[in-house]
Amino acid sequence: MPVKGYWTRRLGGAACVVAIVLVANFFLFRLMPGDPVATVLDPRFSPEAKAQLEALYGLDQPLGVQFLLYLRRMATFDFGLSFSTQRPVLDEILERLPNTLALLVPAYLLSVLLGTALGVIAARRRGQLAEKAVLAAGAVSFSFPSFFVQMVLLLLFAYAFPLFPLRGSLSIPPPEGTWAAAADRVWHLALPVLSLVLLGFGGWALTVRNLVVKVMGEDFMILARAKGIGERRLLWGHALRAALPPLLTLFLLSLPGVVSGAVLTETVFSLHGVGRFLLDSVLGQDYPAAGGAFYLLTLITVGSNLLADFLVQLADPRIKTGGEESR
Amino acid sequence: MGGFKRWLAGALGALVMAVPLALPAQGAGVDLERIRGPKVRDLYLVVVRDPDAAILALERGKLDILGDVTRPSDIRRLSKDPRFSLSMAENFHMAQVGFNLRKFPWNVKELRRAAAMAIPRDRLVRELFSGYSAPLTTFLPPVSPYCDKSAAAPGLDVEGARALLKKAGWTWNASGILVPPGSKTPLPPATILSPTAGVAPTTAELADRIAAALREIGIPVKAEPLDFAAMVQRIDERKFDLYLMAWQLGRDPDSLYSFYHSSMDVRGGYNQTGLKDAVMDGLLESLRYSPDEPAARKAAREVQKALADRLPIIPIYTRYSVAAVSREWKGAVATKASAADNSWSLLSMEPASGREKPLYWALGDEPRTLNPFTASTATDWQVLGLLYDTLLAVSPNDLSDLPWLARSWKVETVAKAGAPKTRLTFSLRGDVVWQDGKPFTAKDVKATLLFLKKHAIPRYFDSVRDIESVTVPDDRTVVVTMKNVSYWHLHSIGGLPLFPAALLDRIRDWRSWQPSRTPLPGKTGLTELYGTGPFVFRESKAGDFVRFSRNERFWLIPR
Repeated sequence: MPVKGYWTRRLGGAACVVAIVLVANFFLFRLMPGDPVATVLDPRFSPEAKAQLEALYGLDQPLGVQFLLYLRRMATFDFGLSFSTQRPVLDEILERLPNTLALLVPAYLLSVLLGTALGVIAARRRGQLAEKAVLAAGAVSFSFPSFFVQMVLLLLFAYAFPLFPLRGSLSIPPPEGTWAAAADRVWHLALPVLSLVLLGFGGWALTVRNLVVKVMGEDFMILARAKGIGERRLLWGHALRAALPPLLTLFLLSLPGVVSGAVLTETVFSLHGVGRFLLDSVLGQDYPAAGGAFYLLTLITVGSNLLADFLVQLADPRIKTGGEESR
Repeated sequence: MGGFKRWLAGALGALVMAVPLALPAQGAGVDLERIRGPKVRDLYLVVVRDPDAAILALERGKLDILGDVTRPSDIRRLSKDPRFSLSMAENFHMAQVGFNLRKFPWNVKELRRAAAMAIPRDRLVRELFSGYSAPLTTFLPPVSPYCDKSAAAPGLDVEGARALLKKAGWTWNASGILVPPGSKTPLPPATILSPTAGVAPTTAELADRIAAALREIGIPVKAEPLDFAAMVQRIDERKFDLYLMAWQLGRDPDSLYSFYHSSMDVRGGYNQTGLKDAVMDGLLESLRYSPDEPAARKAAREVQKALADRLPIIPIYTRYSVAAVSREWKGAVATKASAADNSWSLLSMEPASGREKPLYWALGDEPRTLNPFTASTATDWQVLGLLYDTLLAVSPNDLSDLPWLARSWKVETVAKAGAPKTRLTFSLRGDVVWQDGKPFTAKDVKATLLFLKKHAIPRYFDSVRDIESVTVPDDRTVVVTMKNVSYWHLHSIGGLPLFPAALLDRIRDWRSWQPSRTPLPGKTGLTELYGTGPFVFRESKAGDFVRFSRNERFWLIPR
């Protein structure tokens, strides 16, 4: 029963968050300075032509009517037509999603794996050169601006030593055949993924190192060591396991930020992805596109949050969900 | 000491001005009669959004034509590279400072004139743009065929500005701030709106320097950088003192009507300065409703003279267009009015080696849509312009009208139902066919005009709103009668992209129509995205490229 009550409260809270974001999503865009028609700056475009454009976008309707239409669209996942492309927003997002996933999933997983491994090594070799190297590399990776690192990589490995392509997700003209096309796609994604790994592993390494160092000083670790458990098992089996709940939470809560943070990478490497679409939609005040994209991001965020709660319970059975049973 | 400073500034300026590029000489045109093409079989428009990546791609041989090279460092770097040929041309870009004439003191003509005399345009352009822009004092960019260079805002004369204000009764307080005639209160602080440095670094810096120049003569102004949308909103709401903004104007001067006619000081109108002047309105109406070219030219001159007297804005500078072309190609068309990244180049370029190969042309952004009814960005039209032809073309030499799908044309003023109206008669070429093999006729022109008018499509609304009737006496003649008199109707109608009548009949919803994704029934390899243009659309890989092949039926290919 306490578990059921906990999840009812969590799901109710999540629904409230989604509802608040839905409302804010509608009104915030309309409160932003300017509107999609006002930013058309062309002296050959008369006020009457602008009124036609307003009607085309549905902005001539009363705000209440626009809001109801918006709610219906969000509820049915039909986000309407993008102002700038006049294609269904969902189609626009789904068309870009494979590119974004192909870029971000390997980059994120590799960052986490590399960062975790280096973090554990640094915790194990405290005070030694290995720890200092990981801390320095982590700090550099964590603090460098992404566009700078990516431009340097582009300059080095696509221009000075042309090992990778300069732009895009495929060669022009594209190679014939499935395998050749797949290899071409991997070749094009290699440098963007490498850049994201270089930029992303540092934060993980520092976090994992700090958590593991903290856990290593706990009483149960001293007891385990006194029992004669080997150092390797102690580190990977006990310390990392104990540090897993916050790491899982961090992993899942970073996901939405990773999707929206792909903007710069997609721009520098000329990739056709969701991040750039999101930025263009906001800058162009494309209400349906921005509204749809933010709504999906909200669902990913809320979903990741709930999943994190669930997985943390699995990872650490001590965490109770009932009010009086929790400690 | 002052003399040394002036010498140093001049010497540094001369160094910076030593630009490796120059505009083509006046009159150095291209013989368009000799152009036959396209000669290239395969054309790729390659999306490269990042300007640094575009330069690298050009240098690595992944691009053959790169337009819109704007950063002086890039221009210098490419101009030193023997593998590329750079061309520089004048542009319809125009950056200007606008005053809010609805408010004191900006409604005082002497103050505006003095402000214009205080701004060191030459120095600003030299220092901020390294010479790849030109200081501007005219009310139309010099490239415009209608620009009257004698009707100009005053140039730099700081002492003259002070003398002018003094003569008009202005004084200065102890802090050097201007005090209006008959008052003891100095001018209140004011701001000049500009985009933020994050979005437009040089424009933000320019606003800062203009404010400093105005402070030199006692006008207490400082720059107020704003997010661009916020800046536009402030201007739309008329909540500003001054603003710095750049425009990309068109060939015709009737944009002056939008900027300065009192009827345009409304929501959605572009009379941002709020100029309301009956004489000016009369001149602008003469310009907009000129019956013929000579009358239009005369009216344009008079409007510019009136603007030079009233100075609702101060022109600051105009940017040049710069394009780079790989020397592996020959035949690019570059003139004083058009850099090499133009459609004429695509008709005449061919590999220098004589061996056939694809041509790669950079797209600075991704096309948002390939629906010609909703396409609005320059990138969209960089793509669509290769497919859709117009009745008239614009000469890259002098921007005059050239016959294109119309072999000849006539502009007349006729009296119909008591009121004078403009009647346009176009005689069409007989050797043009659509890319699906069907002949292009006057019925296609009529269908296009009526379709655009019937659906009130925003992009074309102003061009076709005044159409009264379209008649087709025969397959080669179209007569368009407008509701009123205006010479500019010729360019509005003559510049419209034309669509096949058979296709227009099939379009159920012009808004959601996706022609590039809809195969053309019975025509392998063709989609509904087809016209009479020099290239045939083949495929679009979103975010990567758009591929075209030569239209073997194009009328400029020798048979």
